[in-house]
Parts: sequence; structure tokens; C-alpha cells
Amino acid sequence: MPDRPSALELIEAVTEFLSTEVLPAATDHRQRFRTLVALNALGIAYRELMSNETSLSDEQLAELARRIRAGDVRDGDHTLLKDHVAAKLRISNPGYLERYE
Amino acid sequence: MVETPGWAGELEARLGRRVESMHLVPGGASKEAWAVEAGGDRLMVRRALGGVIHEATLPLEDEFRVLEAAVEAGVKVPRPIAYLGELGGREAFAMELVDGETIGRRIVRDPPPGLETQLADELAKIHAIPPQRLPFLRSADVVERFERELGSVGEPHPALEYGLWWLREHRPAPLPEVVSHGDFRLGNIVVSDRGLEYVLDWEFAHLSDPREDVAWPIVRAWRFGVDDRRLGGVGEVAPYLERYEELTGRSIAEADLDWWEVLGNVKWGVGCLTQCRRHLTGQDRSVEYAVLGRMAAEMEYELLDLIERA
Repeated sequence: MPDRPSALELIEAVTEFLSTEVLPAATDHRQRFRTLVALNALGIAYRELMSNETSLSDEQLAELARRIRAGDVRDGDHTLLKDHVAAKLRISNPGYLERYE
Repeated sequence: MVETPGWAGELEARLGRRVESMHLVPGGASKEAWAVEAGGDRLMVRRALGGVIHEATLPLEDEFRVLEAAVEAGVKVPRPIAYLGELGGREAFAMELVDGETIGRRIVRDPPPGLETQLADELAKIHAIPPQRLPFLRSADVVERFERELGSVGEPHPALEYGLWWLREHRPAPLPEVVSHGDFRLGNIVVSDRGLEYVLDWEFAHLSDPREDVAWPIVRAWRFGVDDRRLGGVGEVAPYLERYEELTGRSIAEADLDWWEVLGNVKWGVGCLTQCRRHLTGQDRSVEYAVLGRMAAEMEYELLDLIERA
């Protein structure tokens, strides 16, 4: 095991730095926007490391994509895909799913 | 940001007037934008950047000609001033620099009244531009285009594949092609308290079924968080379609837009992935491009939801 801080703790440290020091000092609209984007990116990385989602493997995804491209769509694909995409969104943007409730 | 590029002298010569000041406006990906004061006028100079230009974007000379055709057709656009040829080895043109709000998130907070029908007014005028006026504009099969672009990403996205499959299975009968803007949505229009002032960003102009443009501002991503106002987060679709029909004679039912709305989500989902590759390949390192790779899932979820309800 590497020494502390762990990867999660490092992400937290950079998140705190950006939100308490960089963001309040950002006067330029563009700079502020990019800082918010950077914070969002760190949030995604943090949630991914914290997540215990089991998702489809790369091989399964590649096979599914190839099969659908070939026009072979089966019952259950829609549900499978919706679950798969929802799992991705719980990491990338959990708030987005609430917009469908 | 104050910097004077090496080609400032060339710019003065082409414009035939003294440049008092110029500064780079941040944000362009394949093109840069300079706010210029010259001979007492405020200009915007758009200039090409290096790197791979998106296959669907127009060269600046053609974009300038589209802007001229739009002015002739009475579309609200910044006044095109001059095509400048190459400045410092890259082509550029000058247009009027305009003021107003372009940021979608701010516009949806308090949209000016009448914006729905004003959007239809401009779109109707754009769609009335005679195609022979712009012979360089191309048309393409949109489904095939996004299949190809998705294939080039090099990462499996079965949900987008599913969207493309559904589009192939449910193709509507085509309408005759018109000159289309190609990126007509909030974010690319200038708005003031009075309403819609200008239509910007003509680099994606092409020939297409008119419904491609009509449906694009309806795509959820362009509602900027105000999901219940289906038209761009600013209003209802019905008055927009009614005005469009009044002006063009084309009757489009709201349900006719479903296919195009799914297409729009495929388009922006694939767009997120390809823009992310600009970062990943090192072509344009940027945290903004990087996170787009993770945003594509939003369009995937939306298209699955739309297909479920269709």
C-alpha cells in the first residue's frame, strides 16, 4: 500500500484547494467556469474510486455494441442498456438521474 | 489579456484602417475570435487555428458567404464586414462585434417574452435562403455520419449504437432539403431584454431536412436545466411550430420531432466523445474537453428514455 494520503484523500485535498482558494479568487468568468469544470472532474474521479458498481466488462460492451451495430437487437437490450447507463451516471452525474423521477 | 499578434499589420492593411486595440476572446476550439477596435468600429475577427478541423465545419471563406446570404435573407446576424484572406498564414474574416447574452444557463433563468416565436422567425428565414445561392453547402446522410463518427471514437458505446439502430428502423419520409444553420440552439443566439438579437456560429451550415434544425433546440441538453420548457428551456414547442408553419407553409407536428430529437441526442452524445478525443489525443489539452467524455452518458440516458416513450 502506498503511504497516506490515499488517492481519495489526495482528490479531497485538491478539491478543497480549488474550492477555497482558486474559485474565490477567480475574477474572470472563463477562469471561474474552468475551475468549476475541474472540480466536477475531481468529483467524478472521487465517486468512481468510492463506487462498488458492478458494470459490464469492456469485452461485453464491445460485443453488445458490435451486435447492435449489426442490427441484432434482442428483448432485454433496452433494459440492460438503461441500467448500464444509469450506473455510469451515478458516477459521472448522480443529480442527472433525479431529473427523470 | 492584451497581446498583439504578428499579423496585426496585415489586418490593418486588409481592413484599410488603423487598429486601435485587439484582444483574444477565449473559448474557440477550431477558430479563434479577436475583439478589435479599428477606425472607431468594434469588430470581431474570426481566424482559423491549426489542427484537424471537424469534418462538418465550413472553411471561413464559406462561413463568411453564408453570413452574407443570411443578411440578404433578413436573418438577424452580426454584419459581415470583409473576408480577409490569410492573416499570418491562416484565413480570417471580420464581422460586427455585438453585445448581449449568449450563455444558455442565464437566458433560461429569465427568458424575454416571445422568444419561442422569434426562434421560429429566424429559422423560417434561414430555411428560405435559396440553396443555389450557396452552392458549396453539402448534404449528408446523418445516420451514416454519426455511425462513422462513433466508429472512429475507439470505445464501445452500445447505448448510442442502440439509438442509431432505432433511427435506422424508424426513418421518417424525408422533406425536401433546405439551407440549414446546423447548430441552431441556445448558446448560439444573442438575446437581450428585447428578445432574440442575433444568430451566431454558422460554421456547421449545410443542406438538410428542415426538421433537423427545428428539433435541435428541443434536445434536453440545450434546455440548460429547465427540462419542463421543452423548447430550449425557454418555452413551449407548439407556438414555435405554429409560427414556423405560418411562415414556411411546412406543417410539423410535435410528434414528428421525436425521431429528430433522438437523432439530436445521438449527435451531441457522439459530439461529446469526439471532442473528448481532442484532449485525449493531445490535439487540444483541456479539462473542459476531458469531462465531455463522461457527459455523453446523459445523452445516452435521454435517448433511451425517449425511445421508451416513443
